[in-house]
Amino acid sequence: MAKRILLVDDSASVRTVAGIALRGAGYEVIEASNGQEGLERLAGDKVHLIISDVNMPVLDGIGFLKEVKKHPSYKFTPVIMLTTEAGEDKKQEGRAAGAKAWITKPFQPAVMLEAVSKLVMA
Amino acid sequence: MPRCKEAVDDMHPSDPTDLDILEPAPTAASQASSPHAYLSLLPIWSRQIETSRSQTEEAIVALSERFSGIVQRIDAALSSHVQGSQGDAAAEAARSKGDLAMVIDALRAIQQNRNQLVEQIRGLMAYTEELHKMATEVDQIGFRTNMLSLNAAIEAAHAGEAGKGFAVVAHEVRSLSNAARDMGKQISKKVGLINDSLNRIGKTNEEVAARDDAAVQTSDERIRSVLARFEESTAALSESAARSRTESSAIKDEICDSLVQLQFQDRVSQILANVMRSMEDVAQEGQRAGTAAEAEAQAREHAEKMMSTYATREQRLNHEGIQTTAVEQSAVTFF
Repeated sequence: MAKRILLVDDSASVRTVAGIALRGAGYEVIEASNGQEGLERLAGDKVHLIISDVNMPVLDGIGFLKEVKKHPSYKFTPVIMLTTEAGEDKKQEGRAAGAKAWITKPFQPAVMLEAVSKLVMA
Repeated sequence: MPRCKEAVDDMHPSDPTDLDILEPAPTAASQASSPHAYLSLLPIWSRQIETSRSQTEEAIVALSERFSGIVQRIDAALSSHVQGSQGDAAAEAARSKGDLAMVIDALRAIQQNRNQLVEQIRGLMAYTEELHKMATEVDQIGFRTNMLSLNAAIEAAHAGEAGKGFAVVAHEVRSLSNAARDMGKQISKKVGLINDSLNRIGKTNEEVAARDDAAVQTSDERIRSVLARFEESTAALSESAARSRTESSAIKDEICDSLVQLQFQDRVSQILANVMRSMEDVAQEGQRAGTAAEAEAQAREHAEKMMSTYATREQRLNHEGIQTTAVEQSAVTFF
């Protein structure tokens, strides 16, 4: 059965590129355009990995990550932050909130898939 | 899928509301009589930027989908190339070579069998020689027996009345010896006929064998020539397929790079969104500012707030007045 990935990003173009790459690699992808929508998606079928942007309207990526880690079913689910933020402070904030990896945009789909494959198997 | 012209039209719809945005509202123009009045233009610029941003995003999404589709089709084509024609052609060449070699082997086996037959016929010819000698000996024995019976008849005549019975026996022996000589001659004649016949079979076989040898030799050469041409064609096909794969891979890499480049729209979008928020803030705060000193303090406060909201390095450098076009390289950090 295909592993299910939640992809949270307010940029439709990023969701398109990442979504096509993930689906092409055999994953099932659920999309959300901000953190709040991402939390609503988690109420559905079990998600095995989350990829999230940081700067988003309504609820940003760090806030979303903190909420995910409070969720009893998702506190151990790996989360990858996919963002234009390259500053060390922001990275450390993500790490402290429970992110497993930090990928800076623009990203090579192959690099993202490699990180996903490492974490989804762990 | 829309054609290029339609796609361009899609991005620039002739909606009358767009014209409203391009033309500043009369109230805003009439208010532009003081520096504060110009602030009323900021929302208009903001809306223009938002329109450009959203149109760019739509176009980039469509482009990304198309490029990703091309990459997937190239992937599918590359994998079918690997499993398809090249392997099949090489396997077919090997199979054909094996089958044709079996045909040649079968022809050679037939030749060998016929050669064995010729050897057996030669063996039979040796037996007929012996039979001929035996027939000649039968004739010789008949001749001597005849001579013996003739002498016996002479001796019986010399004996007179007493030899009459013996003369009858001598006559019968002479008849038998003549019959034996006739039989020997007939055997010799038949053996000669068989020998001639075997000689003719042998010669015919040798002629047929020589023709077959030449035919097998020619077939072998032709088959080798056909196989060589087939192998050349297969090799050329494989080479062409390999070139095609290399080219396809290169095109795929180019498109993948383009997909990465298209993500700059996301960075640009973030920068523009940030500028729009700032413009909206300036428009609201500017209206409230009283004295020049208050306006200056507000501007400083606003600049600090802007700095804290930047997501990219180029935004921070631009804010500080340092010109940059370089962007951070993509990197993965595992925690």
